[in-house]
Amino acid sequence: MSSNVLIVDDSTTIRQMVKRTMKMAGLNIDEVYEASNGIEALAQLNDHEVAVMVVDINMPTMNGIQLLTRMKDNVRLKDIPIVIASTEGSQQRIDQMAHFGAYGYVRKPFQPEQLRDLLKPLLGVVDNAGSEDGDVDGNLF
Amino acid sequence: MQDQKTATLTAIFSEVLQNLAFMFNDDDDGEVIVGEVWLETEMGYRGPRGGNLRFRCSRDFSILLAANLLGTDPESVDSPARANDAVKEFMNIVCGQLITALHGTEEAFDLTIPELRELQEAPDLSVTRDAQSSTLCVQGHRLQLVYVPE
Repeated sequence: MSSNVLIVDDSTTIRQMVKRTMKMAGLNIDEVYEASNGIEALAQLNDHEVAVMVVDINMPTMNGIQLLTRMKDNVRLKDIPIVIASTEGSQQRIDQMAHFGAYGYVRKPFQPEQLRDLLKPLLGVVDNAGSEDGDVDGNLF
Repeated sequence: MQDQKTATLTAIFSEVLQNLAFMFNDDDDGEVIVGEVWLETEMGYRGPRGGNLRFRCSRDFSILLAANLLGTDPESVDSPARANDAVKEFMNIVCGQLITALHGTEEAFDLTIPELRELQEAPDLSVTRDAQSSTLCVQGHRLQLVYVPE
């Protein structure tokens, strides 16, 4: 079973920040793949086995909602855990993402600990970079 | 009402700079760095209500912002595209926070993709009629955020 992660965000800055957060957290990750929109993400998923995805909503070409809709209809992709990292804070949008099968939701700007605590149960850690102050039990959304 | 919206705008502007980039509004009236190249980034949101945001800053500030976001030195921000990307993401986050502050969390809004351009000359940072604006000075750089409700 791979521990590859796919980060889908049109901002290279956010992709770098997410990568840095995962590295600092000591998460058990093999490879990190990147995509700047939903179309690129589907291409990456076609080429690579991915264990977890971190996905933005507001992207050009194919946004996060459209990507999750496409994945939900695909037998091979529908069970990949997806953490949404978005600027949007409406309950309606959060409920919509949960309905499409998202595993968790973190709002930008997020603290590194928030993302780490969402990803840790999915990926595990390789060192002692554990959570001291996070709270994810039953509160993924 | 306009004063209240301007206060909200300033609060969100400052908070996102602090929480995202660890950058703080200068307390004293120190020397202001005059940038040679100015950038203007625009984006908006549509839904039950709509609005547009415009952010103006110098190229020098955009490099500082990118460096802070990436946890690196400004010298390492080796391309304008990287700095532009940081400014656009900053705008994205400000817009998301502003929507929640002004309209609550019940309804969903669609955000437009931020668009950035270089200005031909230094902008007038005075308050615009029919718009709420907030001007900050961060590490000697003047920044302005303007909100225009639809």
